[in-house]
Amino acid sequence: MDMGAHVLLLILLSSLLPGVAIFFLREEQFVLRTALNLGGALLKFLLIIGLLVGVYRDGKTYSLSVNLLPGIDLVLAADALSLLFATLSAVLWLVTTIYAIGYLEDSPNRSRFFGFFSLCVSATVGIAFSGNLITLLIFYEILTLATWPLVVHRGTPESFRAGRIYLAYTLIGGAVLLGAVVWLTLLAGSEPFVVGGYLQDLAADHGTALMVIFAMLMAGFGVKAALLPLHSWLPRAMVAPAPVSALLHAVAVVKAGAFGIVRVLNDVYGVELAADLGVALPLLLLAVLTIIYGSVRAVFADDLKQRLAFSTVSQVSYIILGAALAGPIGAVGGLVHLVHQGIMKITLFFCAGNFAETLGIHRVDEMRGVGRRMPWTMTAFTLAALGMIGIPPLAGFISKWYLGLGALEADMAWVTGVLVVSSLLNALYFLPPILRGWFSRREGPWPDERHGGRWLETHWMLLLPTVTVAAMALGMGLLASLAISPLYWVTFIVEFEYGYDHIWSAIFEWETP
Amino acid sequence: MTPDTWLLLIPLTPVLLLAALALPVVGRHLWRLTPLAVLPALAGALWLPEGAWAFYPWLLLGTELALDPVGRGFLLLTALLWGAAAVYAQGYLGAGPARVRFHAFFLLAMAGNLGLVVAADVAFFYTSFALMSLAAMGLVVHEQQFESWRAGWVYLGMALVGEVALFTGLILLVHDAGGHGMSRVWEQPPGTAAMILLLGGLGVKAGMVPLHLWLPLAHPAAPIPASAVLSGAMIKAGLLGWMRLLPPGSVPEALGTVLVVLGLVGAGYGVLAGVFQYRVKTVLAYSSISQMGLMTAGLGVAMMHPALAPALIPALVLYALHHGVAKAALFLGVGIARRVGRMAALAWLLLPGLALAGMPLTSGAVAKTLLKAPMYDAPVDLSLVTLGLSTAAAGTFLLMLRCWVLATGGLREPRPVPVSLWLPCLVLVLGTVVLPWALAPEDAFKALAVEPALALLWPMGLGVLIGGIALLLARFPGWTLPRLIPEGDLWVPLERGGRGVLGWVSRTPWFWRMPGGGFTLALIHGLPRLWAAWLDRVARGERLLLRWEILGMLFIGLVLAMLAAVYLGAVMAPS
Repeated sequence: MDMGAHVLLLILLSSLLPGVAIFFLREEQFVLRTALNLGGALLKFLLIIGLLVGVYRDGKTYSLSVNLLPGIDLVLAADALSLLFATLSAVLWLVTTIYAIGYLEDSPNRSRFFGFFSLCVSATVGIAFSGNLITLLIFYEILTLATWPLVVHRGTPESFRAGRIYLAYTLIGGAVLLGAVVWLTLLAGSEPFVVGGYLQDLAADHGTALMVIFAMLMAGFGVKAALLPLHSWLPRAMVAPAPVSALLHAVAVVKAGAFGIVRVLNDVYGVELAADLGVALPLLLLAVLTIIYGSVRAVFADDLKQRLAFSTVSQVSYIILGAALAGPIGAVGGLVHLVHQGIMKITLFFCAGNFAETLGIHRVDEMRGVGRRMPWTMTAFTLAALGMIGIPPLAGFISKWYLGLGALEADMAWVTGVLVVSSLLNALYFLPPILRGWFSRREGPWPDERHGGRWLETHWMLLLPTVTVAAMALGMGLLASLAISPLYWVTFIVEFEYGYDHIWSAIFEWETP
Repeated sequence: MTPDTWLLLIPLTPVLLLAALALPVVGRHLWRLTPLAVLPALAGALWLPEGAWAFYPWLLLGTELALDPVGRGFLLLTALLWGAAAVYAQGYLGAGPARVRFHAFFLLAMAGNLGLVVAADVAFFYTSFALMSLAAMGLVVHEQQFESWRAGWVYLGMALVGEVALFTGLILLVHDAGGHGMSRVWEQPPGTAAMILLLGGLGVKAGMVPLHLWLPLAHPAAPIPASAVLSGAMIKAGLLGWMRLLPPGSVPEALGTVLVVLGLVGAGYGVLAGVFQYRVKTVLAYSSISQMGLMTAGLGVAMMHPALAPALIPALVLYALHHGVAKAALFLGVGIARRVGRMAALAWLLLPGLALAGMPLTSGAVAKTLLKAPMYDAPVDLSLVTLGLSTAAAGTFLLMLRCWVLATGGLREPRPVPVSLWLPCLVLVLGTVVLPWALAPEDAFKALAVEPALALLWPMGLGVLIGGIALLLARFPGWTLPRLIPEGDLWVPLERGGRGVLGWVSRTPWFWRMPGGGFTLALIHGLPRLWAAWLDRVARGERLLLRWEILGMLFIGLVLAMLAAVYLGAVMAPS
């Protein structure tokens, strides 16, 4: 076991231990709880940055393997792809923790909330660092269980109902996933993830079985990724507090599903085998359907958080679309959207939370004239929403650009048509709140105005994270070619881990004037 | 400072000023500095060396900025107009916090417009173009009236459709070229799909018929300084985009023919629709459609005969410059005309109007002569095109006549004209005379010769004749100009038609009884019922599953079974 393996364990423990400790704190121990929360989040962030540098500079991957049962290993591994997801989780956990501290000020059961919050992030990072399907499955189930108390945190009948539906969907999805993993383990053993997959040899004898297993895996991960027939828990889970919605939607849950699909497609089956088996195209079609369906539903949603939820249904499928295009440029577009969508969506949820907490705004038509009362939040909302539409120079534009080019590269020009339709639908449901916010007049008082700060439009712990993530959404697009951008890292993954040549030069070094 | 930094400062300065607007305390006064934001662009247009080029590997997808002769002309126009409009806005907009908002969107749109002129890669071009289009929405709806919202929605809808068409066209170009630098893109002739998408996507901005519908709605609705830049500068982005992305020589001649036909139709139609209008700003909007049609036709000729392009492209740039300055002067003048007496109003609007119609000694004369000269010298017969251009000039004179009549008629509201209003207007009015002599003195001198002057004067004479008859007729009681064409022409029947069809379908029972109608009806009634029944069943299933003990037992049982299977499989697997 080398240095890096210890670091991996430490990263997992950096949120697990504070989480467990927080459970035992009394409600009024605010300072200690905040210190544990922020300390853990910062430590995790720094450790992951350390690993990131190691992987990038030395081209090393770290792994840690523990034998669980005969023939079944628990594998933790850090490759470039897992670090992408882990970094996203660590960064967003940090900002969401600050936001949640401000949001839940003076509300009951904070220790319980932050305890599960930390467990949830531990599970997400565990998913990121899973080195084989069994490990992934274990952390995936832990995530399901750890998020349930967060969804029902408010304790109202409505939230319990949403929680039950959430649990029903995810547990059944988890069961299907479990079945698929067991079946696959019986066929191929518990192999670690490897680029290009490890099932090629089985294709000749077990083709049909592999197809069925693929469908089961997609169904299992698709529940959390909110793929089309399995999405309906997501809009209902919107009764949760804003930081939870933000984290569920931007990182933890939906991304866990999307990440699982990308892993299976690239590192279990391999894109070539998936194409040979003929399972990549149905997945692509399903992603396309979900993109359009989610957008259409969002247009008709009047509740702001509902609208954002349906938008998530639509946008997460961009990631799956990119993976299912089965080409390097498409992979860049899909993977980079994993990060971009997370940043933009968390911005939108923070904004929705700010509107609700400060002025009591829950519905889109209540947003009239909010731009004058809360200009910073409204600017953040505008940036993130325009990014979702794919307007340059925001992060979403970079995703759309490479998804479009990836579709052309894969000889599927019709997919660019899907992107266009989705963009227009996005505009249809994101532009009205923006225009109302900036250009409509407010008549009468706000529904429920609570925070009337003299200098700031709302509590600084709500405003700072919002502005930070909005600035990131802008920076990731505007400075996409910098070495610290997600695009750079994703290109690194596709070039050196997936082994495609010339992607690096196609994206960054095309210019030789 | 090196050209490298300078080129970036051109689009960056407005953005920096915008960021400064957000500063506490001082920020709310900084809108007074808006006119200064064009200074780097103006200085760049005048003093940057030929062939200035810079590469910023960290910006966006790797950004190239450059200044070529075409770009220099457009940069001069853009900087001049945005600067003038910014000064004008200082005095034109009333007090209140909405003023800061106006300046914020104004600065954003300005940054976009300046950026797309110096962009030398398609990603940055698209970024600037989108920034300009979307930020201009803030200018169109600024007044927050019913009219401005209606105009704003039409504008935004068309701009977005144009945007996605442009996006798709661009990634097609980039995919074929394998890079997004413009020099790289030029190496490959664009494919048919890309060409159509770029033609339409940029055509929306350029007011190409039939994509011009937003123009006559947005111009009267927007505040005057916004109309001036919309019509003078932003509309030219479409033309510049065509020049950049569909360069003559690399596109098929058929595209040129299409552009010539659409351009001439637009030139004629703009006049026809414009003379029947009752608001000055609408007349000016239609005049812009007509003038853009002339430029489109000119570019089309260059595409049909690439040999003429070296002469036509500079002529088009000068034409764009001339039209932008004159049109912006007219818009700004309209704002002044309401506040002064009839004669003074006419005085403000006379010179730019005559320049647009092509009066000798003005910029219009030089631009039109330069544009037509290569067509006379062409190896093929282009007399149809030149005749079209001349006829359109007669029409332009009629439009200007209409503009003068409307601007000097009606009720006057005498008010003092502050310096921030008359100074920018005066600069632009003088520009219509001075610019050709400053930029192309030789050509300006040549345009004074008898032959071209005659070619310019006969359309004006025709215009005077028709206009004189119309004015005489108007003296008879009962003879008024019919309201033949409503503002926004085609949009009005489209809007009414859309509402009508929806209402008719919902009100007409026999529609549902036509062949297959019964089936449709059954489907419409039956599907929701089926769906509801299905939902019921799902809900019942959900309820069953939601009972804790059942769910828990099922899950634990499943986990145990699976683990057992894995264990057995692992033990028995032949390893």
